Amino acid sequence: MTDLHIRSDNVDVEQIMGQIRARIREKRGVDYTEEEIKELANARLEKFLDPRGVRSDLIEQFRTKREASLPPNFTFEDTTLFETHRPFLRFIRRMLMPILKLFFNPTPLSEALHIQSKLNAQQAWLEPLHYEVMHNLVVETTRLGIEVKNLKMRLESMSSRLDFDERRARALEGVVQYRAGAVPPLQPPTASTAVAGSPLETAQQERRTRRRRRRGRKTGFGSGSGEGETRTGFGGAPAAAPSESRRGFGEAGSGPAETRGGFGEVPPQSGGSGEGEPVPTKPRGDGGGEVG
Amino acid sequence: MKLAVAVQRYGADFNGGAELHARYIAERLARHAEVEVVTTCARDYVTWRNELPAGTETINGVPVRRFAVDRERDPLDFGRHSHRVFEHPHSITDEFAWLDSEGPASRALIEYLATPGKFDFVILFSYRYYHAYHAARRIAAKAILVPTAERDEVIGLSIFGPVFRGVRGIMYNSYEERAMIQTASGNHDVPGVVVGVGSEVPAAADPQRFREKFRMDRPFALYIGRIDENKGCKELFAYFSRYAATFPRGLDLVMIGRAIIPVPDHPRIHHLGFLDDRDKFDALAASDALIMPSYFESLSMVALEAWGMGKPVLANGRCDVLKGQCIRSGAGLYYETYEEFAETLYALESRGPIHARLGRNGREYFRVNYDWPVIERKYLDMLEQLRAAPARGAIEPMPGWMARRRADLPPARAVLAGIPAGAVVPQHA
Repeated sequence: MTDLHIRSDNVDVEQIMGQIRARIREKRGVDYTEEEIKELANARLEKFLDPRGVRSDLIEQFRTKREASLPPNFTFEDTTLFETHRPFLRFIRRMLMPILKLFFNPTPLSEALHIQSKLNAQQAWLEPLHYEVMHNLVVETTRLGIEVKNLKMRLESMSSRLDFDERRARALEGVVQYRAGAVPPLQPPTASTAVAGSPLETAQQERRTRRRRRRGRKTGFGSGSGEGETRTGFGGAPAAAPSESRRGFGEAGSGPAETRGGFGEVPPQSGGSGEGEPVPTKPRGDGGGEVG
Repeated sequence: MKLAVAVQRYGADFNGGAELHARYIAERLARHAEVEVVTTCARDYVTWRNELPAGTETINGVPVRRFAVDRERDPLDFGRHSHRVFEHPHSITDEFAWLDSEGPASRALIEYLATPGKFDFVILFSYRYYHAYHAARRIAAKAILVPTAERDEVIGLSIFGPVFRGVRGIMYNSYEERAMIQTASGNHDVPGVVVGVGSEVPAAADPQRFREKFRMDRPFALYIGRIDENKGCKELFAYFSRYAATFPRGLDLVMIGRAIIPVPDHPRIHHLGFLDDRDKFDALAASDALIMPSYFESLSMVALEAWGMGKPVLANGRCDVLKGQCIRSGAGLYYETYEEFAETLYALESRGPIHARLGRNGREYFRVNYDWPVIERKYLDMLEQLRAAPARGAIEPMPGWMARRRADLPPARAVLAGIPAGAVVPQHA
């Protein structure tokens, strides 16, 4: 995440939110709001999904069904058939109930309606749940579809950039010349190899001293010899100064590839690694500015 | 001056919402006037069951008179009436049936408030409840309404229009609430002022004590309130889980409050339950930011407390009130999508670029608008203004018997959809 740029002490929250939204748009590529995603999910699902697999009008159908006015549910007990708000009438009905039962048995009717009432309540409870599940599924599927599309675009973009980088790297390798007889790169001393006072240690110490000297003088043109040759890089400060290596190749240099003043006349080298890989060369003592 | 504060529930241990708001106002106004709180015996806002004894008691120096609720609320019956008036064309009678089923119905409470000469003014909290509606109709000339209105379907019911147009004065909680009520009822000529409520923010809190007590080593964002789906907590959990997976070094989430829905078992989500005020303010002091994920708020007291403590707020941008307050205060950010949530939370981290500036703005916003002297002065000015002004005409009469039964009122949801939404943003020159 990048930082916000607030230029004054007066904080404008809307401005900050504008910056945040702009950053989200940059990251996401295509900026769809939640409403837009829902709209896409509702209306144009077939654009993102296989229309044979998912019905794009599913949500619409659910909504239509849901919005259709359902009759209110009711509680149904064994006394419901005989209920009334008038106490007198209720009394009369209760009195006449034995007579009614001579003609038919209302109990199964009450039980059936009681069960139906329970089923109605259960259905009313389940329906919003179904709707929510379906709605969320469709929205998330749409969101994923959009995300996959964006990722595909990014992948294509990255692939083309990778191709371009590879082609450029090959072109640069073709320009570099190698010189036989070069020394392999210096390795940092290890506990097993670096023994104080040993010949190897002395030689490495000497090289280091020379490198330090070179570092101090490698920036200016013609700072050393009358040839005006500037050595920047190899054996000096590996990858320490990208600006130095860029001097010759423009933007091509990154890392330890060394250039000499103009266009990379790197001598080929011996030592087993001269098979196409540019390896560091031994610093020349021919007045190239290394030795004062 | 004799004042009554009428509210649906009242008690020293009722935290949050209109009840706490009412208690703060009653206790503050008691320093300037003779105040009596009139309320019900209910504790539970779902059933309004009579759990507290009827009669008088004193809470924090303020006399409280309780009246029994006539009947408990039947949630199924209430749901049926709500469906009827919110979703379908209906009549005024249907709306009255809805109001009766919502409760808390206490005719004795209304009669007490209407006692001639008993009070100079009656401050009625929460327009949507039985006591506020019927008291406003009975004693409109003395009624000062604190609507605590949220953007929900209730504002679309026609029975409340005459109340908003007929009371003596209205103390709004926010500019968004005022705009919504004025649009819904056309009560532009009723004296009203945007007040809100103050809070007892301590001068100094001890963040280290909180960190040690609850072993919070990592930086965290804080949520305070009921952990409920209606408060946007489900969305908060979903967003935070994604955020935590993406940003392993980001903030933790600390939840304070009673959990109605389960809190996910996540190593970076810490539920501490209900805490006392000291722990709460220490937690605020230790936090990087406060998160308010609620979709509907008429005023978030905890957001004000966070600003009072110099902490920025991250609010749900779909709540007009919170979004408006963030913009006007310059002390909070808001989100509507996960991407915005992650980016804004990152921006509000204490080591982030704008945390300190938003915190400073919040402290200043609280001091100028919600410090207790400011709130008290607004109430007292309104009372003086109303006392000096002549009483308004009588409240609009009830429609006739036939008109009340004509089912030609549009669904409340449709009415609500017609009321413009959005934060009230100051116009820059």
